Amino acid sequence: MADTSTDNSSAAGIDLSQFYQVFFEEAGENLENMEQLLLELDITAADDEEMNAIFRCAHSIKGGAATFGFSDVAELTHQMETLLDKLRRHELVPTPPMVDVLLQSGDALKAMLGRHQGNGGEQVDTSELLTNIRAMVAGEAPPVAPVAHVPAPRVEAPVAQAAPVAAVPAGAAPTSGKRTVELRVGPLTDMSLADNLVELFKEIADLGTISALPDDPSLAGYRRFKVDTASNESDMLDLFTFHVAREQVTFLPFGQAVAAPVVAEPVAAPEKGYGFFDDAPGAPSANHVATPVVAAEAAQPKPVAPAAKPAAPKVDKPAAALEASTIRVSVEKVDQLINLVGELVITQAMLAQNSRGLDPVVYQQLVTGLTDLDRNTRDLQEAVMSIRMIPMSTVFSRFPRMLRDLANKLGKKVELVTQGEATELDKGLVEKITDPLTHLVRNSCDHGVEMPADRLAKGKPEVGTITLAASHQGGSIVIEVRDDGRGLNREKLLSKAREKGIDAPDSMTDAEVWSLIFAPGFSTADQVTDVSGRGVGMDVVKKNIASLGGTVEIDSAEGYGMRVSVRLPLTLAIMDGMSVGVGEEVYILPLSSVVESFQVSEEMVKTIGGSGRVVEVRDEYMPVVELEKVFQVPRFDYEHTSGIMVVVEAESGRVAMLVDELLGQQQVVVKNLETNYRKVNDVSGATIMGDGRVALILDVGSLVRRSRH
Amino acid sequence: MGMMEKLDVQADLAREYLTFRLGDEEYGIDILKVQEIRGYENPTRIANAPHFLKGVVNLRGTIVPIVDLRMRFGCSSAEYNAFTVSIILHIGQRTIGVVVDSVSDVMEIPPEAIRHAPEMSSAVDADYLRGLAQVGERMVILLDIESMLMSQDMGLID
Repeated sequence: MADTSTDNSSAAGIDLSQFYQVFFEEAGENLENMEQLLLELDITAADDEEMNAIFRCAHSIKGGAATFGFSDVAELTHQMETLLDKLRRHELVPTPPMVDVLLQSGDALKAMLGRHQGNGGEQVDTSELLTNIRAMVAGEAPPVAPVAHVPAPRVEAPVAQAAPVAAVPAGAAPTSGKRTVELRVGPLTDMSLADNLVELFKEIADLGTISALPDDPSLAGYRRFKVDTASNESDMLDLFTFHVAREQVTFLPFGQAVAAPVVAEPVAAPEKGYGFFDDAPGAPSANHVATPVVAAEAAQPKPVAPAAKPAAPKVDKPAAALEASTIRVSVEKVDQLINLVGELVITQAMLAQNSRGLDPVVYQQLVTGLTDLDRNTRDLQEAVMSIRMIPMSTVFSRFPRMLRDLANKLGKKVELVTQGEATELDKGLVEKITDPLTHLVRNSCDHGVEMPADRLAKGKPEVGTITLAASHQGGSIVIEVRDDGRGLNREKLLSKAREKGIDAPDSMTDAEVWSLIFAPGFSTADQVTDVSGRGVGMDVVKKNIASLGGTVEIDSAEGYGMRVSVRLPLTLAIMDGMSVGVGEEVYILPLSSVVESFQVSEEMVKTIGGSGRVVEVRDEYMPVVELEKVFQVPRFDYEHTSGIMVVVEAESGRVAMLVDELLGQQQVVVKNLETNYRKVNDVSGATIMGDGRVALILDVGSLVRRSRH
Repeated sequence: MGMMEKLDVQADLAREYLTFRLGDEEYGIDILKVQEIRGYENPTRIANAPHFLKGVVNLRGTIVPIVDLRMRFGCSSAEYNAFTVSIILHIGQRTIGVVVDSVSDVMEIPPEAIRHAPEMSSAVDADYLRGLAQVGERMVILLDIESMLMSQDMGLID
């Protein structure tokens, strides 16, 4: 198997590597899915449906891994599958250690897949995991309901998933000892494939003996064999998969085929088979009846097997429906689409601008057409942008697991509540917000939530609650991380700040005190000992969020918990901007940072120390930033003086920007300057205006910082 | 090994060069680096950039920096008239425009026609010269435009 994938120029001529990416994506999704299902699993009352879903995840990964020759992945998933199979058959009772082992295996698989994807990383050692799983499979827990387990018939494939120990009656030693079984292979499109199995038995003497049984007319597309063997059935399956898919192989107790789901009537007596012993291999089956017939039969298990507990035939339906309604598209393509639409918007704006002077009476049709174009481009832009939007649940889904592990490690009891998972956010933002959020949640669990005993002593419920909530507010998305832990301690923060040499007068408001934890290096030194040591890297969190155009706020009540609110723009690709004119040039200010603007006269501006200029706005003195000087705008009319101030706010500072005129507000498509050029000071990006010219977007945060130095 | 030989063979083949004028001088650059030639349009100025960086323009939705080669090479005058053109170059993953007085020709110059440029001090570092080519009466200065634009002192990259 492994050879086919490494030797890409093999005779088959199919380069499997082109499908790797699809496999990695699917495997990743399956792993996430499995993890989520495992976490939601109520082990005291495990639902069949859930167990089947988990099993399916492991099974799909295994199938793909085997096909592409990732044998380590296939091996581990195979063991997981064996365990899961026993669980879903109720042969084993799920226990917390099992869930733990399965979760750990999931992690190991992620690491392995990462390695195969070329992300580097250490070789993953799975021997311990494998041993653990095997031990569990071997059964520390006794089998439940030993009589009532017959493989569940599944709608989509008659014998699919019939796992190794499937049809062997409980009680009989299922996987060892010399015995005779009926091996059924199918449905096959090429009947001669099954002959390879006969070859296999010839090559491996230990395997036992195989002999063909006559084809059963009711089983079109199937081949039957009688096998005398002492080998474990899952071992045999592993060998068989070199030739036929695992799903196509079924083991039945010899002569007891009645219990099999696909059989409509008892199979011919075994003695009949002996006569065909030698001439059968290679003889093609005469019964090439279409497989759907068999599938249909399988869908309605005949009552000949009264012990059979028919499984719900709905198992795969929801998943299938979901798959059909979505398509997988690379982000690159979506971005290309967004770029093109951005172009269209610019062209449309240009047309609109140029047509303004036209007489609507004379050019009625043209004007109407342009109005339609305007509306359609806007709708199109909105629709295209929505492709990039993905629900917050993709971010939130990683936290239950993380918290579970963290709480276990810290010996705390924490429950995670998520709200507003359906809130959508730009994909680019989602990727970048994950780390800061992880940090905040970790902090809440580590420093916020108290130990169970402490909580009880304070009259709080033993289990702490951490809430992750996302919601839309205006043009932004607000993500809150709340906990009902101990909250921040004002005194401790103040004294710590003074220790660090930060100027912290007692008169500071609570909000100001809380924001001290964003100071660089705050409490990194002795965070373990300190109650309110939440400052671990909080400055980094704040910086990352600010770089996304977002803000962070903290609320806290000592003893009752705290809340960190992160406010982000909905998308990075489009922004509401205010265009301002300075000299002959146009600059864009992010509208979200504009507080107000006003006409200013010479007298209102005062100087400090001869050079620093301030302006008084509503009893507050603000530093003045003259865009003209910052950007060295050339002047041709020397008489002119800028007369408009725009107050902008960023990083909890305000400055007044001196500009010549306000030109208007518009949505702008944000373009990167670094793609072809480099980072420019005080500029966060560029956009293309209606007339096709480039305008620079100001980095308000950097301008505010500039005013401080 | 096989790869190396192949490259050598390629280097021996005559290459096509796009030639253009800067003042009285004629320069040539590898035609494969040229994406397109456009009329000069006023770029958006970037503050605190080197004087030869005229600014950035919108090239069908992409923001492209524009370098005036005449200012870079210290030409006596750098006028913008109807003949002034921007050559849009594709260099590595980047798109960069250069302003020249006029584009003259595309010519094939065999390697044996290329002479080494003498060591001398000029506005153009000898490292960025591929050589000098005699084409009829004219001398064409062959520029290694890629290494020149990507060099640190151009300040086009971080």
